[in-house]
Amino acid sequence: MNGGAMHWRRRLMVQLGGLYGLWLREVMRAFRDTGQLIGGVSRPILWVLILGIGLNPYFRGEVYGAVTFVVPFTYLQFIFPAVIALNIMFTSVQSAVSVIWDREFGFLREVLVSPLSRTTVLLAKVLGGTTVALLHGCLVLVLARFADIPITWADLPKALGLMALLAFALTSLGVVIANRIRSFQGFGIFSNAVILPLYFTSSSIFPLDPALSRAQTRVVYPDWLVTLVEWNPLTYAVDALRGALIHYNQFDPLLGIGIIVTACVVLFSVALIDFYRT
Amino acid sequence: MAQPDPAPSADAIHLNAISKRYGRTLALDAVSFNVRDQELFALLGPNGAGKTTLLHILCTILRPDSGTALIDGIDVAKNPLEARQRLGIVFQEPSLDDRLTVRENLELHGLVYGVPRKLRRQRIEEMLALVELSDWASKPVRALSSGMKRRLEIARALIHDSRILLLDEPTVGLDAQTRDRIWAYLRRLRAERDITVLVTTHYIEEVEDCDRVCIIDSGKVLALDTPEALKRAHGQSLVRLTPTAEADLEAITARYQDRLTARKGNELTLVSDDAFITAFLAEFGTRITALKVEVPSLETVFLTLTGRELRDRAAGAREQTLAFGKRGGEHTR
Repeated sequence: MNGGAMHWRRRLMVQLGGLYGLWLREVMRAFRDTGQLIGGVSRPILWVLILGIGLNPYFRGEVYGAVTFVVPFTYLQFIFPAVIALNIMFTSVQSAVSVIWDREFGFLREVLVSPLSRTTVLLAKVLGGTTVALLHGCLVLVLARFADIPITWADLPKALGLMALLAFALTSLGVVIANRIRSFQGFGIFSNAVILPLYFTSSSIFPLDPALSRAQTRVVYPDWLVTLVEWNPLTYAVDALRGALIHYNQFDPLLGIGIIVTACVVLFSVALIDFYRT
Repeated sequence: MAQPDPAPSADAIHLNAISKRYGRTLALDAVSFNVRDQELFALLGPNGAGKTTLLHILCTILRPDSGTALIDGIDVAKNPLEARQRLGIVFQEPSLDDRLTVRENLELHGLVYGVPRKLRRQRIEEMLALVELSDWASKPVRALSSGMKRRLEIARALIHDSRILLLDEPTVGLDAQTRDRIWAYLRRLRAERDITVLVTTHYIEEVEDCDRVCIIDSGKVLALDTPEALKRAHGQSLVRLTPTAEADLEAITARYQDRLTARKGNELTLVSDDAFITAFLAEFGTRITALKVEVPSLETVFLTLTGRELRDRAAGAREQTLAFGKRGGEHTR
């Protein structure tokens, strides 16, 4: 193998082998981080069991005797897909912290001088984060029976596919943030400043009434809130997930998939451009 | 410098007029040299001389502003992935994953460099044995001392078919015993495997056994030859002497003003040669309490070439700038 160009197939095998190695590293690291695992388990329990069950009786619309609107679901069923999205969101964005770790503790160098292209390195990192986030999403799915959600074999692949795409998009988002913010503390603050507002304004914990027209919605809710919810891309992702799990969509389900895929492509491209620039 | 080699592919490393600038500081000023196949080549210079910058250019982390660098005949700027496949690199700062175990780090490296499974397993055991870390294979890297981490990094750089091993200050910050061990590994390695080693250091005593030494300072190559040839060409012998009384010291200082290189307390260091010693002893032989003759060493070679000692220098503004550049030059804090 002295001199001359390597065969393209051999080159591809090197990239794939490296992709597998780095992906495996991300996953192994995540499983050795007990803090992250505890968060991944406690967060859904908190939301589903405490908030969901606690608020469940108030979701019938009969607040103060006046029936405003009724959706054919319990509150627990309604927020369940959103809690999956929340768990994926936290894990994805947090796993991007390892970008900062790698830079700070020198491991990034080892990878940058390896025969792997930067695309492979970044893809491995994002796929690793995606895998871990998907598993954390599945931790929530385990609670489905407590939320009275019957998951059929037909729904499951649909839901898992959407969760994987969502995890990929959000991990890419985390990497984009991590590339711009270079300290651990800054990342923590910023990621929380992104995660929670995105989550709260994604119609995840309260529905925009599907029975009302656009104009009526703006009467019931303040204008700014409706605008925020409609502009938040996560709204459509949560909606698509809801479609898969409880067969309830506020928007066109294809719109949700379209938005998640677009987010995957755009965010990964931005992360890649950043990575080639550094 | 010599003319660039007409057939550069015969050399393991070929550098032609590499320049690199960080802002206004010129870190490398048209550096050219060749490292021959299977050579143990040392790059010697003080902190901030440009050694690390040069290594970073060779391993494609940095791009030179001008000039070409070939690894095994492959241009690092045009074909970085193939050039990197041939390199084993040990950086100055550790670059291990400390949450993984020793063996996992090596496995990961093997996967990343596309080493087939069987060969990977075999190499891992061999290299762990070479750097005497076999007993630590399943311990997390976090548990290792800094000397062990450095050894592990050397092992890691050898898991794939690296033809050229680059080591950036492999012994800095380690105790004398560990330093000796690391050099012993390198020597053993060269006996067992066809490999070219380029090592940077600022410890002069370490480069005595190298095949060739390149002395670099302020981004320029000052000399390049075998240690013996360097000593012959640039070395001076020195005498260190202690005069009996203050008056003697004054007299000697006045008489040999042009030969005086250093004065520490009441010890004088003079440039010496055979004729000088005879003349000196005839004149002042009764007026000194101690006299020590030092034969040419690389230390004196360095002193002659750069006009200063290699060690004991605080980081100046220039070094700080370069260290900043090395870290990536990011204004974050």
